[in-house]
Amino acid sequence: MDTINIEDELKFVDPQQIELKLNSFGDLELHLPDGTVHTPVVPARSFPLTDVTHYIAIQTDNKEREEICLIEDMEQLSGESRRVLEDALEKAYFMPVISRLQAINRRFGVTQWKVETDRGVIVFDLSSRSAISQFDGGRLLIKDIDGNRYEIPNYLQLDPKSIALIETQV
Amino acid sequence: MSQSDDVPLQVRGKDRSNQSSMSDGKSEQSNQELLVEEIPAHIQDLLPDLKNSPLEVALATDLHFSGNYGQDWLLATNDKIIAAQQNGLPEYQLQQIDLKQIDKVEILNLHGNNILKIRIANQGIELARFSKRQADKFNEARFKIEELIQTQKGEDQKIDTRPKNAGRKTRCEKCGKAIPHWSEICTACIDKGKTISRLLKYAVPHWKLLVGGLMMMLVLTSLGLTPPWINKMLMDEVLVPAHSAISLGQPVSENAGFLLLKYILWLFGITIITNAFGAIRSYIMSWAGQHITHDLRTETYSHLNTLSIDYYHKRDTGHIMARMTHDVERLQDFITHGIQSMLRSGIMVVGMSCILLWQNWRLTLLTMWTVPLLVALTIFIGKLYRRYHHIVWRRVEKISTILASTIPGVRVVKVFGREPDEIERFNLHSKHVLEGGLVVSKIGAFYHPTMGFLMGLGTTLVWWAGGRQILAGTMSIGDLTMFLSYMWQFIGPVQELSRLNERFIRAATSAERVFEILDTAPDIANKVDTTHLDEIEGEIEFKDVIFSYDGELNALDGVSFHVNPGEMIGLAGHSGAGKSTLINLITRFYDVNHGQVLLDGRDIRDISVESLRSHIGVVLQDPFLFNGSVAENISYSKPDALPHEIIAAAKAANAHDFIVQFSDGYDTVVGERGARVSGGERQRISIARAILKNPSILILDEATSSVDTETESKIQEALERLIQGRTVFAIAHRLSTLKYSNRLLILGHGKIEEFGTHNELLELDGVYAGLCKKQAELSQIRVI
Repeated sequence: MDTINIEDELKFVDPQQIELKLNSFGDLELHLPDGTVHTPVVPARSFPLTDVTHYIAIQTDNKEREEICLIEDMEQLSGESRRVLEDALEKAYFMPVISRLQAINRRFGVTQWKVETDRGVIVFDLSSRSAISQFDGGRLLIKDIDGNRYEIPNYLQLDPKSIALIETQV
Repeated sequence: MSQSDDVPLQVRGKDRSNQSSMSDGKSEQSNQELLVEEIPAHIQDLLPDLKNSPLEVALATDLHFSGNYGQDWLLATNDKIIAAQQNGLPEYQLQQIDLKQIDKVEILNLHGNNILKIRIANQGIELARFSKRQADKFNEARFKIEELIQTQKGEDQKIDTRPKNAGRKTRCEKCGKAIPHWSEICTACIDKGKTISRLLKYAVPHWKLLVGGLMMMLVLTSLGLTPPWINKMLMDEVLVPAHSAISLGQPVSENAGFLLLKYILWLFGITIITNAFGAIRSYIMSWAGQHITHDLRTETYSHLNTLSIDYYHKRDTGHIMARMTHDVERLQDFITHGIQSMLRSGIMVVGMSCILLWQNWRLTLLTMWTVPLLVALTIFIGKLYRRYHHIVWRRVEKISTILASTIPGVRVVKVFGREPDEIERFNLHSKHVLEGGLVVSKIGAFYHPTMGFLMGLGTTLVWWAGGRQILAGTMSIGDLTMFLSYMWQFIGPVQELSRLNERFIRAATSAERVFEILDTAPDIANKVDTTHLDEIEGEIEFKDVIFSYDGELNALDGVSFHVNPGEMIGLAGHSGAGKSTLINLITRFYDVNHGQVLLDGRDIRDISVESLRSHIGVVLQDPFLFNGSVAENISYSKPDALPHEIIAAAKAANAHDFIVQFSDGYDTVVGERGARVSGGERQRISIARAILKNPSILILDEATSSVDTETESKIQEALERLIQGRTVFAIAHRLSTLKYSNRLLILGHGKIEEFGTHNELLELDGVYAGLCKKQAELSQIRVI
């Protein structure tokens, strides 16, 4: 008996054949090769932390979030579709990259971080240490008490003061 | 809460929210105010003339649409929305939309940021992008804008259905500051003085002891300051004159021996007094401290018992327990040690400074400046040391985490052949510990010598300055030794005082957490003129009952039915249909929002809660047994039951046979939550408990799930005996459980869908008939 080929379950599409665009309401529209149009749809990264351009799922924009198709490599999309998708993903996954720490103040278990990011200077609060996730290669992911997320690709490559400040927290 | 029948539902709903708590009302109002922020001049200049229509909403975002941090503005008057956006350009651009055009206002809930978007006839426009920090603010704004749109379009106002934030609060409602994970309440908003003085009220009954203890402390502390002083006298009046006399070849003064003895006796006496009375004092203070916390603990626990189920429902058991144990303990520490050591340190610092200044203010000013420096440096280096120590400690903890996950999961590791990877991962973390440990060693190697150096430096300074004064003849050797010993004593109290604020806040927070329990008023309170019912028939009637747990969704929505005494009613319906809610209302764990629940024709709110519950027996799905003997658990419903009554109840519950087989019989301890007896046994013990109580109304909650067939039949038998002659409400998913029911009540979405006998409902061919069919199919599949 043949084993089930689990890869058959994947709904890959040929990126060249599909089209993504915004309609007048600003909702994302997906045009499939067979001529069907889905709207509104939302993109979702399968690996938001480790691979941001591959395996982008396109889902229905409702409670069920049903997957319509999976884009293996968004670089292969046609120019306009790619721009639209990049734009949508930028909004959907907002995660400034921290480039320098200015200060960390502790007060009764809350740490207040003042940092410089690629989006500007920001101050945020963490209420426990579990807010910082550590990954291989010095990569840090920080989730503040309001649910905002920040990334440090490799904290060991920051300036010495930032490293010292981070070392006290991780 | 008094509620009458003729008030329409909507008003009732409003009543509820107003009554629920004062602070709710306040926060709503402040939210309204928060929706209009102060607009900076450069935005103000751009705006059209708004004189005729004041701003209802004026909020700054913290993100531009480009994704950079910065302020865009969202404004709304009662006829239009204005958005001021800066899209990478130096100038703000204005967008104005008539409220009448707007079909829908939505908030796109994205990762790490949100977007407020509106839809008009043929277009969608994104008006504001903001971080999660501002999510609540813009949610409020959205409701406000929707309200404005409805008013503008002349539509009816919808009932306020905004979701309330029920989860753990991360920011303080009043000041917006982050709330520490451990505290649950805002440390910045506690009125420290008020809370501590409220705490001190508990000390009032023991004031004599406390005052006595504090007086003793005052005297003892002052006494404790004297030995260096006596040392000085000893030196200057006895030893130095004697020594110089001897070195000059003169006879030692006659009364030198007497003086020596005198001062030695002084020192001896002070040592005895300070230590002996110190022991008494510390016992007195602990006695008072422990009694105060005992009072606080018992008061809190008895208050907790008066609180309704709703209170427990909304809170984490662990957190309530922490308040009862951890916080109360911390308060005890604060009362017994904290207050004392603060006072003592204060007295010591002031006392020592006074003595020194009075004795020799020049030398004091010259040398004592090193003390604050020394204290500051020890605190600073100490902090650094502790910080790195903490880092290593956390890395070691990570190793424990790895061990805790891989050792129990060793089968998985082996099955997938991942041993080498796990070893490598472990080595990596072990290396982290090694590196961190070396850093700590480095700091430690630096820390202790630095401390020693600073202390030595201070001493040397005193020696130097003092020595020069001695040489100049302006100071005695006794003074110098006194200075040196005071200097060593100075550091402890100063460090203690530097931690004062933190200690105070910790204690105030703990006190606040405990007081918060005490300040919660029970929702279900007896009215003044309730009656006590000795005997009841067991007739139950629901009259148009509406009930909601959260004020949003009605768990019961207009339920009316009548049950005769002695009738058994089977309750069925999918989960969330309202079965448990119905039970919660009969047992009066909650009060209805609208309508009435009648027992023997009386509103149950007119019956005292105690007498109502004395007539109700409950057998729960997962019966709860306390850690005690089987007999104690059975007689929990009737503490004065005689042994033969307990045995009779156990027999009726088919429990007697297995109980006597235990080697400890009825004295068998069931363990925490009844863990040492099996599920079926637990169930029968709880049935025996209900039988012993002999209630007129019985509630069975899916009493026969998750046991084997034989046990189930025994339980069924026991239940049959139990339900004789009582009004019974039985919740069950399985239809077989309901076969003894006289009538069946099928609930769906808080409403009664069907109500009648088995046959009636089958004929009706509705929900119940469908359920029966499905179950029949399922059992067929099982047979195959």
